[in-house]
Amino acid sequence: MITIAIAKGRMQDSALALLARAGIRVGEDEVNSRRLALMDETGQYRFIFVKPADVPVYVEHGIADCGVVGRDVLLESEADLLLPLDLQIARCRIVVAAADPEAMTKVQGMIRVATKYSQIARAHFGARGIPVEIIQLSGSVELAPALGLADMIVDLVETGQTLRENGLTIVEEIAESTGRLVVNRASYQLKAEEVSRLLDMICRLKQD
Amino acid sequence: MRYYIGAEARLRRTVEDVAMSVFEAWNYEEVITPSVDYYDLFEQGMGQREAQRGFRFTDNDGRLLALRPDVTSSVARMAATLLSERPRPLRFCYAAPVFRQQTQSHAEWRRENTQLGCELIGVGGTSADLEVLRLAAEILSRLELQSRYCITINNVEIFNGIAAQMSLEPATREELRRLIDTREAAELQRLLRQYKSAEGQALTQLTGKRDVIQTARRLITNERSLAALDSLAELWTEIESLGLQDSFEIDLGDVSSLDYYTGLSLKIFVHGAGTSVGRGGRYDGLTGSFGRAEPAVGFVLNLDALTEVLGRAAKQD
Repeated sequence: MITIAIAKGRMQDSALALLARAGIRVGEDEVNSRRLALMDETGQYRFIFVKPADVPVYVEHGIADCGVVGRDVLLESEADLLLPLDLQIARCRIVVAAADPEAMTKVQGMIRVATKYSQIARAHFGARGIPVEIIQLSGSVELAPALGLADMIVDLVETGQTLRENGLTIVEEIAESTGRLVVNRASYQLKAEEVSRLLDMICRLKQD
Repeated sequence: MRYYIGAEARLRRTVEDVAMSVFEAWNYEEVITPSVDYYDLFEQGMGQREAQRGFRFTDNDGRLLALRPDVTSSVARMAATLLSERPRPLRFCYAAPVFRQQTQSHAEWRRENTQLGCELIGVGGTSADLEVLRLAAEILSRLELQSRYCITINNVEIFNGIAAQMSLEPATREELRRLIDTREAAELQRLLRQYKSAEGQALTQLTGKRDVIQTARRLITNERSLAALDSLAELWTEIESLGLQDSFEIDLGDVSSLDYYTGLSLKIFVHGAGTSVGRGGRYDGLTGSFGRAEPAVGFVLNLDALTEVLGRAAKQD
């Protein structure tokens, strides 16, 4: 049996849909129940649903053999994992946004950046030698510039709707993020057959 | 920071005794190295990046000391200096705690790990590589982990040969190494296409048994990688003739410590542990940095990780 940790929220529905197309199905009643651990119909796969940031943790510790999680979360985490497949689901972008499109050159002194993604933000500005003060938030990041907490934000955007509604425009794109299949290093060897069967099933789907 | 009390401490002691008795049966002499030594020793032995994970502090005269982050560095220096006149090969084993700084959130969280390890110094070739692999397999089966462990083997020269053929800049070489290490297949393909490397394709089909070697041989043309592939094939034949092939796996994707290993590299996995419980390989470059270049091979098992797996298994039974 293989345990797959799936990021709750945005990723969960697309991940289950993709797996269903690959032939790994979970009964509808099961999905609609609020249980956090489910088996697929064949009993070969167990799914656990956890917060996105916890997926790398479960997989690195080997509690889950595999995981489905966005690249944004992986960039933020420093977990040591295998990343064999880009699932091309839940596509979105990690961007720098501000009220003023030229904020980068206009701000006097230290630029304040509000974000949920402090590692990504620090690495992005650090690589270009721009000194910034990172303000770590855990949600509703778009509010920060309007309320004067920060000059810019680094956040995930799908359509850009939320940004627009809060009077923000995209200043630059840092990276694209899609759902990835991640695998625990020990499971990759010890459950080699089962893991490669799962990888094959998904790969075949992508070729069609 | 971990306490072992009563039954747990006994189990841990038993695991240590089993390993040391296997080493002894194979004529490995025990060594006890200093827990505190000059930091320079470890930087020379392990390379800067790994050595920096050690806990460092200063001596009275301001010189930098470290709590030993590994034992191999000390053994290598001892072989090159104190024991330079002793006839080869040298066989040493140890059970000793090592200390490394760890990121708290990681699966490998222990700052203190006891390594059960061995070093075979002064002989190269397949027979020496095979000897340490057999030792590891024997310890694991004596611990009743038979059919619950997997030892992956690779020869780092396969990657080195391909990277040299592609004549990559250091940064791109590191990128190639990283993509192989994390198995990012699509990104790896993209990079290889950019460099029009047909050989590199061998590194995309990475793990398995003998078939991995056959696939790789069809794609690889450079001498350096081919020689490495030959020695890996030779080793695999020996593993098969010992009937150990079910416990071993070839993994061309094990490229995590290229600067350290010079030939064979191995990792040990056990069901119930989320990370590897041991690793090792050939480091022919190591003793040279202490003034006497000679072949050397060895491995370490992580006593604390093994105890945890065995303790949990005992509880489930």
